[in-house]
Amino acid sequence: MRKPLWILTIAAASLGGYLALSQFTLPEGPGQEVVLAKCQACHDIGFVARERLSRERWDAIINEMVIRGLQVTPEERATILDYLATYLGTEPPPAPPPIQAAAPKTGAQVYANCQGCHGPQGEGNPPAFPPLKGHVENLLKAEGGREYLLLAVLYGVQGEVQIMGQNYTGIMPGFAWLSDDELALVLNHLAAWGAPQGFKPFTPEEVKAARAKALAPEEVLKLRQGLKRP
Amino acid sequence: MEKVNRRTTLKLMGMGVALLAAGGRGLAQQTPTADQLVKGKNPKMIVLSQRPVVMETPYDLLVSNPERTPKEILYIRNNVDLPGYNTVEGANLEGWKVEVSGLVDKPFTFEAKELLSLPQHEVTMVLQCSGNGRTLYNPRPSGNPWKRGGMGNVTFRGVRLKDLLAAKGVKLGEKAYYITAHASRQGNAPEFVRSVPIHALENALLALSMNGEPLPAVHGGPVRLVFPGYFGVNNVKWVEKIEFTEGENTTTEQVPRYRVPTIPNAAIPFLPQEPGKTYPYTLQNSRPNWLVTLNSFIFAPLEGQTVEGPYVRVEGVAFNDGIVPIVSVEVSTNGGRTWHQAQLERQEKSFGWLRWRTTVYLRSGEHEIMARAWDAAGRSQPLDGNIAWNERGYEYSGVMRVKFTVA
Repeated sequence: MRKPLWILTIAAASLGGYLALSQFTLPEGPGQEVVLAKCQACHDIGFVARERLSRERWDAIINEMVIRGLQVTPEERATILDYLATYLGTEPPPAPPPIQAAAPKTGAQVYANCQGCHGPQGEGNPPAFPPLKGHVENLLKAEGGREYLLLAVLYGVQGEVQIMGQNYTGIMPGFAWLSDDELALVLNHLAAWGAPQGFKPFTPEEVKAARAKALAPEEVLKLRQGLKRP
Repeated sequence: MEKVNRRTTLKLMGMGVALLAAGGRGLAQQTPTADQLVKGKNPKMIVLSQRPVVMETPYDLLVSNPERTPKEILYIRNNVDLPGYNTVEGANLEGWKVEVSGLVDKPFTFEAKELLSLPQHEVTMVLQCSGNGRTLYNPRPSGNPWKRGGMGNVTFRGVRLKDLLAAKGVKLGEKAYYITAHASRQGNAPEFVRSVPIHALENALLALSMNGEPLPAVHGGPVRLVFPGYFGVNNVKWVEKIEFTEGENTTTEQVPRYRVPTIPNAAIPFLPQEPGKTYPYTLQNSRPNWLVTLNSFIFAPLEGQTVEGPYVRVEGVAFNDGIVPIVSVEVSTNGGRTWHQAQLERQEKSFGWLRWRTTVYLRSGEHEIMARAWDAAGRSQPLDGNIAWNERGYEYSGVMRVKFTVA
């Protein structure tokens, strides 16, 4: 009599987990970082994460994306295809490696989400994507800049901005689907390229508190316009 | 003992439901709501993608506005986003220019505000993503997981493209077989180009307003080139260039996306595929998602509802490409063994949806109701929608079935 109850509870719990994770989270596996970097330059990772396609279909989709502007080396292309066909294929993916106790995520790993647009070293790609190196430091020096930076990463920014003498009119998407820990890690990764004296690292608690604000990208832009820069 | 166990089961089920609900809330917290992404949208809209913006109308909201779909709940399927255009407010007409070129004797560029001084026309039409209903295909095709809320019925107002051409004294070349429209690329937006056959010129409208208000920026304002009777993707938002061309354009929006397999020049709407198989789309072996497929939707009762009996009001909407009238909508309460005709709101052909209703006599218990439409060209809907399975899941039009309970 007890067994079915257990099964029911476990089923419900794992379904909950599946729902919470599936839409935006890519399964861990070799190539995950390249996929994050390349695909998110143009669209939500959800377009990728929710699909379950054959290798043949993924191959065709990469071709389509190349026509639409995806830039990959043959090696990167092969890595991406292997990852997609293995972890988002029509067959269940291989069992994840046994839990490694000593492998906490690093800010550099989370930065994979950003580097497709902002470059591996935060150098940017003008005139489409602004640099982060130097720019983030300037923001952190401004009054309210720290909070703005966090909100920009969390909710995105939309509208015209001027950064280091260059106009940018693109769209910075929000990354609210990353965890509080991951967001704190990536923000500190940006700050490691340059931060004012006495900079205190971002904390997951600070990210959590910022989630309560629920801003639209245009509102984040207004915050930017109100910053008092040194 | 039996009783205790059942109670425990219920309790645990309750926990499961609570867990699911919490999971849903957790997710909602992590991803922005519709009103955060697009100013003025109803927060209940289902966000399928933040970038480009894709959101679906929850079915209960869709059916609670059976005449016209308000801008706050109209679905969005952007392929490109323009920075600053994520709002249901109108966009600035000032300075917006549109080029008309290709196979015309005198190419020209006009200011969007010039349109205000030309005769205005109004058209009520169904705007529907050709992927609407995609989740009903099995196995699951690739693409946004639309249920049935990727559509709406709206009224556009603006200037007919043919009137503009006449006002400018412009004549089309002999080989102007297609109208190819380009969306603006401001803010480094990727290109978005779509071609429709020249047939569409008859009703093509440079829309400046929707539902009596300035055309929402997120729905293509200040100017959208709409083609009544054509699927959503063809109605190019933020239009900045209109070309008359001999062939279809060859960007990915035209091929391989937004097409279904077919045999050219053969009288079959699509070439059935073995579900799960791939297809080598070319301009020759497939056709674009152009004309809206005949379809009907049940607006009441809703799935899972409990209604009073024994006389049950059944109602919904039906639409096609507007080329011929819809002549009948039938409902069945016995799995398609017998059908009886619903009353139609009107007899004329139209680009908008028409409402239908009927009353059926049903005893207490669980029931399933089906609805299917017929038009004057003899077209109808497949009982098994999966017959049209295609790898990107376009143009689902299978007969809708709704399960409900009569009290």
